[in-house]
Amino acid sequence: MNDTRRTVDARGQACPQPVILTRKALAEGGFDLLEVLVDDASSLENVVRFVGYAKCAVEAVETEGTTSRILIRPAPPAPATAEPRVFATPGPAPAPAPAPQPATVFIASAGIGAGDDQLAALLMRAFLYTLTESETLPMRIILMNGGVRLAVEGSESLVNLRRLAERGVEILACGTCLEFYQLKDALAVGRVSNMYEIAGLLLQGRTLSL
Amino acid sequence: MDLIATFPSSQAALGAEQALKGEATPVELIPVPRQIRSDCGFCLLVQGAEGACERLRACGAQELWRVTATQAGPSSRKVYSYERYP
Repeated sequence: MNDTRRTVDARGQACPQPVILTRKALAEGGFDLLEVLVDDASSLENVVRFVGYAKCAVEAVETEGTTSRILIRPAPPAPATAEPRVFATPGPAPAPAPAPQPATVFIASAGIGAGDDQLAALLMRAFLYTLTESETLPMRIILMNGGVRLAVEGSESLVNLRRLAERGVEILACGTCLEFYQLKDALAVGRVSNMYEIAGLLLQGRTLSL
Repeated sequence: MDLIATFPSSQAALGAEQALKGEATPVELIPVPRQIRSDCGFCLLVQGAEGACERLRACGAQELWRVTATQAGPSSRKVYSYERYP
């Protein structure tokens, strides 16, 4: 059997980029085997750990000098849960298909909801913590306006954003907003993005706005 | 040993977190696990909590619960169970 192979070259990329690139490739699919190249030990560890979370299998790890080649077999797609048609007495209508999971969580303030700022901040902390315990995760979190504060040094939510980043959730913080709050150098997780990228991602749909 | 400390209110939990921040035992303010209480609220997750019980009660903790995490494999989801402590 000839396995089709896709290669992701994550050499020279800082953590958690290798995990993010691996996750993106697995989400795209279209191959039998994914080959990820890394050149540092913690990236190797993080990608292997992520593959476990993603319920895929690491088939092999080959190391040559400083480069490691991780061979990943994606999990087989979930079987279709169509009920067999039985021509008997009519039963209840089939349940509508559940809505697809959000790919993007859009956070445009440091708290959730309006009413009391302290409560809003607490709710955001709780939400991000709960997200880290969740089985399915969004592909990315986009931070704008007050939301960028969550990702800077000293943020109470930094630890949870870092946990999410380790599991392959891309954290994108609007550059204009960071600059406005003079926090550009204080970004402690994720990377700086811009309105073009952010608007493009939001327009793809499947976004949860907090 | 990891402990969950519950408080009479979320504000009290927040106050306790502020009081204990920076001390030797790491504390984290998290939503109360559903197995302990079904209504929303915050509690403290205290890691390596040996010896922290007195301090937690002094900060207003109502109940202490020991946390046990079981994991099928290194990358499997953790499953938590709680029992009243002591």
